[in-house]
Amino acid sequence: MATVDRVPVAEGIFHRSEDGVVLVGSRCTGCGTHYFPRSPSCRNPACQIKSVEEVALGRSGRLHSYTVQSYQPPDLFPMEPFEPYVIGLVELPEGLRVLGMLTGVDPDDVRIDTPVELTTRTLRTTADGQALVTYAFTPSTEEIDS
Amino acid sequence: MRAVYVLGVGAHPWGKFPDKSQLSLAIDALTAALADAGASWGDLQGLVAASSRFEGGMGWGLHANEVLQAVSETGVPAVNVGGGCAAGGIAVHTAASMVASGECEMIAALGAEKMPKGFIPRPPGARDDATDTDYLRWVTMGATNPTYWALEARRRMHEHRTTAETFARASVLMHRNAVKNPLARYRTECSVEDVLASPVVSSPLHLLEICAVSDGSAAVLLGSEAQARRLGVPLIQVAGSAVATGRFGDPAVRIPMVSMNVRDGTQHTSEVGGAVETALEAAGMGTEDVDFLEMADNTAWHVLAWPEHFGFLEPGQADWMIDHDELGIQGKLPINPSGGFLSFGEATTAQGVLQVCELAWQLRRQAHGRQVPEPMVGQSAVLGLGANGASVVLKT
Repeated sequence: MATVDRVPVAEGIFHRSEDGVVLVGSRCTGCGTHYFPRSPSCRNPACQIKSVEEVALGRSGRLHSYTVQSYQPPDLFPMEPFEPYVIGLVELPEGLRVLGMLTGVDPDDVRIDTPVELTTRTLRTTADGQALVTYAFTPSTEEIDS
Repeated sequence: MRAVYVLGVGAHPWGKFPDKSQLSLAIDALTAALADAGASWGDLQGLVAASSRFEGGMGWGLHANEVLQAVSETGVPAVNVGGGCAAGGIAVHTAASMVASGECEMIAALGAEKMPKGFIPRPPGARDDATDTDYLRWVTMGATNPTYWALEARRRMHEHRTTAETFARASVLMHRNAVKNPLARYRTECSVEDVLASPVVSSPLHLLEICAVSDGSAAVLLGSEAQARRLGVPLIQVAGSAVATGRFGDPAVRIPMVSMNVRDGTQHTSEVGGAVETALEAAGMGTEDVDFLEMADNTAWHVLAWPEHFGFLEPGQADWMIDHDELGIQGKLPINPSGGFLSFGEATTAQGVLQVCELAWQLRRQAHGRQVPEPMVGQSAVLGLGANGASVVLKT
């Protein structure tokens, strides 16, 4: 695994830091609202500052809802070979809910309110042997205070 | 502002028409609406079109000017409105405003759409940009439109203990309503067992609980009271209409976003809720005055959730209502007597116009085989990609 090059499906969305995988988003310096992906401004109508800075977020959260995808989406989604997979809606402590694939859990065993943490998931292997990866949530290994 | 009346309505049946152009569909619907009113193309003082997303001869989708150029080059104003799938409702609101202001004596709103097969894809031409969520949702997780609705449906099961059977009953109701509607694409009754036996597309939603995509077109002719009296048409008034966008903090899992900022107390699907509320205010009415709804039922979840979100029912109440057939045509709050999106398949931008046609047919007591008993007020509600909402209230 360690020898395989990992290529993100899109640049500037997530990266691997020393603390693990994080999402790249924005935080308003005026009202503190977090956004994902990066936002050109702050959507909060009560905020007059509307100045955003790049921020890492989404390391851990709680599963708010989920769905199992049984059919292959249109071409832009690069999973190969296709197999049914789970998309989760994750409540983050930063105050937003984020959509993302789940990994490391059987579709039949997914439960709402499960603590999850961010990782990556390989969607396919490219012709030159690189792993094309996206961000994904997986059930937490450590206990999180609820 | 003066009163606005529905002079005529018309629609092309919904389905798949590979040999018919979008322009032909549009012309057919508008011709039908003019005939319904006893008016002619030369009477039109303007035309508002819901700009379609997926087809259109000049690369910009259906435009009102193309229709006028094809049929009646009188030089009247053409207005083209966007708003995703809400564009049809926005077109009706725009046309109504142009009559109310005195700018036009008679004007039509039009929507016509030809849809690609299968999951609605990303519209062509957009750049691959990592801050464009309609790119991200596909490339990072393949989130189809049913994904979003399924996340809502699963959460509803958690919060309100909604069962698979109750969702299925919502689909059964929509299909039953459509059986005698000649415009509907799917006119066969189905059972709860049929729905639950259909393939799971995005759990917990089955194929028969998710609207298909169709080709279709609809037109509404609006005018002043003087025009209504001249033509001798039934007096169906546009009591109120509104367009709205989403509010910050809305918990809706909104296509095509990949995240949402949720703030307690913010209305769910606020772009539609805001339009519903504003249209009722304009009409001087409350939800209790509305005898039936024509609303966007992209899935069985919408049939249950939307009347609750917009104040017609209490949270969780729709389950009991559907289980006791109170959302049926003879029930306390009939939802989509037309059969809704689940029976038509969504012809995106035409849908919001068709809803208003159905309101008019119901209020004129012309909805044969699906007539709501003696309705006085009907309201439409439609949602468009990117937090657009529209609503129209008609009264007799």
